[in-house]
Amino acid sequence: MTNTARDLVHSNASEISGALGLHALNNKFNLAGAPDFANDLEVLNYALTLEYLEAAFYKQGNAANLTSGVEKEYLATIQSDEETHVSALTDTIKSLGGTPVAAPGVDFGESFASRDSYLQTSHVFENLGTSAYLGAAGFIKDKAILQAAASIFGVEARHAAVIGNLLGLKAEGGVYMGAFETPKDKATVLAAATPFIKQMPGSMPVGGVQTGGGSTSGGPNTGAIVGGIALLGAAGAAAVAARRYAHDDAT
Amino acid sequence: MAGEERIFGGKPVLEFSTSTDRRKFLKMAGLVGFGATFVAGGLLGGAGVAGASPANIMRGAAPAAGMEGDLEILNYALTLEYLEADFYAQGLAAGKLSGRELELVTPIEDHEKTHVSGLTDTIKSLGGTPATKPKITYPDGTFASRDSFLKTASVFEEVGVTAYHGQVPLIKSVDILAAAASIAGVESRHAAVIASLIGGKPFPSPFEAHADMATVLKAVKPFLS
Repeated sequence: MTNTARDLVHSNASEISGALGLHALNNKFNLAGAPDFANDLEVLNYALTLEYLEAAFYKQGNAANLTSGVEKEYLATIQSDEETHVSALTDTIKSLGGTPVAAPGVDFGESFASRDSYLQTSHVFENLGTSAYLGAAGFIKDKAILQAAASIFGVEARHAAVIGNLLGLKAEGGVYMGAFETPKDKATVLAAATPFIKQMPGSMPVGGVQTGGGSTSGGPNTGAIVGGIALLGAAGAAAVAARRYAHDDAT
Repeated sequence: MAGEERIFGGKPVLEFSTSTDRRKFLKMAGLVGFGATFVAGGLLGGAGVAGASPANIMRGAAPAAGMEGDLEILNYALTLEYLEADFYAQGLAAGKLSGRELELVTPIEDHEKTHVSGLTDTIKSLGGTPATKPKITYPDGTFASRDSFLKTASVFEEVGVTAYHGQVPLIKSVDILAAAASIAGVESRHAAVIASLIGGKPFPSPFEAHADMATVLKAVKPFLS
């Protein structure tokens, strides 16, 4: 690759039209303001936090023994997938000379009260994770890391679809989320994940997920939680958020 | 893995309507030689250097060459989407599915059609010429039963997923990359759902596999011999 004076993104973005082009342009690359991620390590640590959250979620959920048969097998594989993502991301961050973020404290509230609430929250998580990877992909500069991140993204999409089917959700809008996956930016993703995060690790490396998270990281995070509820939609998630409020009051 | 798959048992599937399209498609296969070398040999080093400087963000090769490569990739994707869209249209028309299975497969045809039109629009907007729809023929019996239809669909979807992931590091424009990735994720959903319908593995690996054009073409292009 040779570097040229022209920036491919900015020189071509305005020329793209049609469904795909419009969709791609939603991916934030051309918006004013600070980018969500300054470098690949920031993206990887962001992904690692989300994978930690997912791995912990399935570990607890599967331990609650709420499912059986093929459903149980699927969920065991999903847990294993998320754990593999955690270790792969950790190794990659280390190999790049970075410091992997620590696992966040988690609180999944009433998510494991029943098989339905478990799967409903899982469905939210997986779709959120899928959108998070897509929203971050454009910031990755190293093509090998990009391919690895994309390969995780696809697996999260698989999880999301199958969980949606286990729940018997309608095909379009439940199992599939349209003909194109939708990217979400970091602030939106973190707002949605906030109800599940009890505490972020105290010593986040520079560029950890708290930086640039804006309202999600400090002060009264009511706004973030409300945003999270709106985004999550699922009843189970709302219950979790309510519990999160109670937890805040108690501490 | 997917590279060893042979759709339709290696029987002829596609015929191109014009020799130009056939040449274009064959040319893509030639492109793979470059791509594969690029990935295996120079990618990590080269990208690492580029990634070292924030000034290099999102900058690729010379624009003309970069866009040419992206257009080739988009036309490759378009050809595969044409094949998928046609496959589901015929499969659903055969009427072997019902109930929840029908409900789950029907949107897939819509998605593939939307991918065809989205890719076509994108190629045009970039000044390229979209590949035309290939003439497609299926071996007898492909749509004769629910099992045959869904099993073939499963192979198709897995190949489609690996095809997109194989192109990820080769796409130069981030916007095109985002668009291609947003399609790839949907193909992953299809692959997982179809696999679960036939008692296969919806999550065959923690990471999606990727295949270069040569491997994918080998799976779908016995007709090119």
